[in-house]
Amino acid sequence: MSAFQQGMAPIRAMEDDSDVEEEALVADYQEQVQYGQDDDLEGLDQASIVQAADDLQARLLQAAQPLDYQATLEAKFSSYDNYCSLFHYILNSEGPVDLEPPSYYWAWDVIDEFIYQFNTFSTYRARIARQGNNEEEAQLLKENPNTWGCYSVLNVLYSLIQKSQIQEQLQATKRGDDPAAVAGPYGSKALYKMLGYFSIIGLLRVHCLLGDFSLALKTLDDIELNKKAMFARVMAAHFTTYYYVGFSYMMMRRYADALRMFSHILIYVSRTKNFQKNAQYDNINKKSDQMLALIAICVAFQPTRLDDTIHTALREKYGEQLLKLQRGGPESLPVFEELFRTACPKFISPVPPNFDAPESNIDPIEHHLSIFMEEVKTNMFNPTIKSYLRLYTTMDLKKLAGFLEVKPEELRSILLVNKQRNKQIRWNEGALLEGEWVNTSDLDYALQGDLIHISEAKMGRKLVDWYLRNLSRTYA
Amino acid sequence: MRERRVGKILDGFAQEPPTVAFPPATPPLPPPHTSTMASTLNMNGEDPVERPKQIFDIIGGLERYNPQAAEVLEAYLQQQCEEKFTDCNANRALLKLYQLNPDRIKDEIVTNVLVKTMTQFPSPQFDLALHLLSPSYSNPGPGSSSDLAEAVAKLRALNSQLEGARYDHFWATLESDDIYADLTTDIKGFEEIIRVKIAQLISQAFREISVSVLESYLGLRSEADVKTFVTETCGWKVGDDGIVHIPKNSENEAKKTEIREDVSIDMFTRVIKRSWEETA
Repeated sequence: MSAFQQGMAPIRAMEDDSDVEEEALVADYQEQVQYGQDDDLEGLDQASIVQAADDLQARLLQAAQPLDYQATLEAKFSSYDNYCSLFHYILNSEGPVDLEPPSYYWAWDVIDEFIYQFNTFSTYRARIARQGNNEEEAQLLKENPNTWGCYSVLNVLYSLIQKSQIQEQLQATKRGDDPAAVAGPYGSKALYKMLGYFSIIGLLRVHCLLGDFSLALKTLDDIELNKKAMFARVMAAHFTTYYYVGFSYMMMRRYADALRMFSHILIYVSRTKNFQKNAQYDNINKKSDQMLALIAICVAFQPTRLDDTIHTALREKYGEQLLKLQRGGPESLPVFEELFRTACPKFISPVPPNFDAPESNIDPIEHHLSIFMEEVKTNMFNPTIKSYLRLYTTMDLKKLAGFLEVKPEELRSILLVNKQRNKQIRWNEGALLEGEWVNTSDLDYALQGDLIHISEAKMGRKLVDWYLRNLSRTYA
Repeated sequence: MRERRVGKILDGFAQEPPTVAFPPATPPLPPPHTSTMASTLNMNGEDPVERPKQIFDIIGGLERYNPQAAEVLEAYLQQQCEEKFTDCNANRALLKLYQLNPDRIKDEIVTNVLVKTMTQFPSPQFDLALHLLSPSYSNPGPGSSSDLAEAVAKLRALNSQLEGARYDHFWATLESDDIYADLTTDIKGFEEIIRVKIAQLISQAFREISVSVLESYLGLRSEADVKTFVTETCGWKVGDDGIVHIPKNSENEAKKTEIREDVSIDMFTRVIKRSWEETA
């Protein structure tokens, strides 16, 4: 297997303060196993030709290199300047620049690193402002409010998308037309096309980091989530995309869709983990744990039968927490909080903090968490209610309230909430935000005054399973 | 500014006729494979049919980042408040502009957006709007509170009662503080919109309900008012015993269902193929 290319792949060393983005730089065996050697050789030839000709090539590679975690503020500033000048050169030269990307995952690495640095810079800046004990750096940050500014990051991503006509190209592909016909002078070049494509994934991420979850999903309108998609060729991109899409769905209370995303990617990882090298495997492992935590949260909101692989992993990793979540009630609240904190993206604020009033700067994670916990609290009695209702076909409201030690009025509200939350939008086809209202629970009920009529959906015979078992018996 | 607005709602309160239409008894659980308008399929109040093309272009393109677009979106919000429809998607674009350009924030626009999203309960709309506010408004740190932060806190309390189906508490809270009248004054027919929505949600869970419970849920002042409202607006029948009968619909039946698997030959192609190959 092409050892040369692995050498080129930038691999971020493990760091203490790791999170989803941080570890996203993974160039794994899998893509090479799947996509054969043709790609590799091609990338290799082009790389060596350009490298000999121009130091630009070095800059391209540089842009994909992870910045040291311990980097000084000056290094962060100058890294920003480097990105600006590189993107300026790529976007604002006379006509498309004549460069080939060093490898097929280079574009992902660049966009990923660009956003990662934006994310850590914003977090760092906010921390300096909150702690208020590093005046020198605070002063420097205050004087340069536009370095790693949100508008410039968005600007780069949108410009790359527009220049490359990538949306038009993807739409053409979806219609079955030739994307090259609408690619234009820029988009027909691999460099622009790939940068444009991964900028879409980058936007998904930035919108999510800023707390705009529906816009995050909207961004992916032209990308179909399947194994044929371009992002699926780069493991880190594949993983990142599903994490952010799943997380956004969760924040929009679309738990069935969130579970579908997390399950898909975790099953994929479990099937391919034998191909992954050790250092990368650790990173992916850590991110998988985060997604397992999110699965636990989603399952608590909406009990779902999980794939066996995931169920086992979930029980191993978060068995105790899951039990508490599924039991509900006030005792479950700290567990929800803990899991959300470990698994959420590192939210940022789009504007510079107020350096003059350290206490006024709230960590955005606290902000988003508090909103999320509101919904958790609204739903915390649903598991208890459901477990009782399953036992009866009719039940008196006051009697049940007595069992639960709540007032009848409170129980009536809990019943209403539970019933309302059983309806959920679920994706069926088309763009990610589309979906249909479906009933997600097998338990339904209606109130006749104080009398609760309960009905439970019966599971029909599991025919597929039955056929499979008998088929194999016949043929064995 | 606040005083003026309080005056306005009190003037307009009495003669405001109930003009919010009660939806048909069977709410939309659209049948599969029919092309219904996106607005009924999607989240409540996400992409209303009333949205003009100009707004559509702004939120669909890069114009949504142009600080100048805030004025257009603000005017559109005003239109929503007057014409009793909600475009949460467009309103989020406005909050996003505020998020990126904090100097442009107008307090009463932010609170109006929140109140508009609140009328879409139960839905994540209020939360999605809240996520776009700066933490200093939604979770202010110690000693950094502001008028807007206080208003947001009040609205969050109100919204959690709607989301938690504590409708009786909702009306009590609304009455408890003048600030609520102030905050909801720009939203024409706010109380009526909420009341109709609550009635609709009740119809999806109840077959019969007592007038006294309805009175507290609908925030009405007497049993006579309740009877008028449910018969005229909702078309329900009130029995002599003080029990309101709600017509059957797909939600309040709680019918027994059976979940079945559809099996097609495609699911077994691999098994069959392999067995064929092995015998051959």
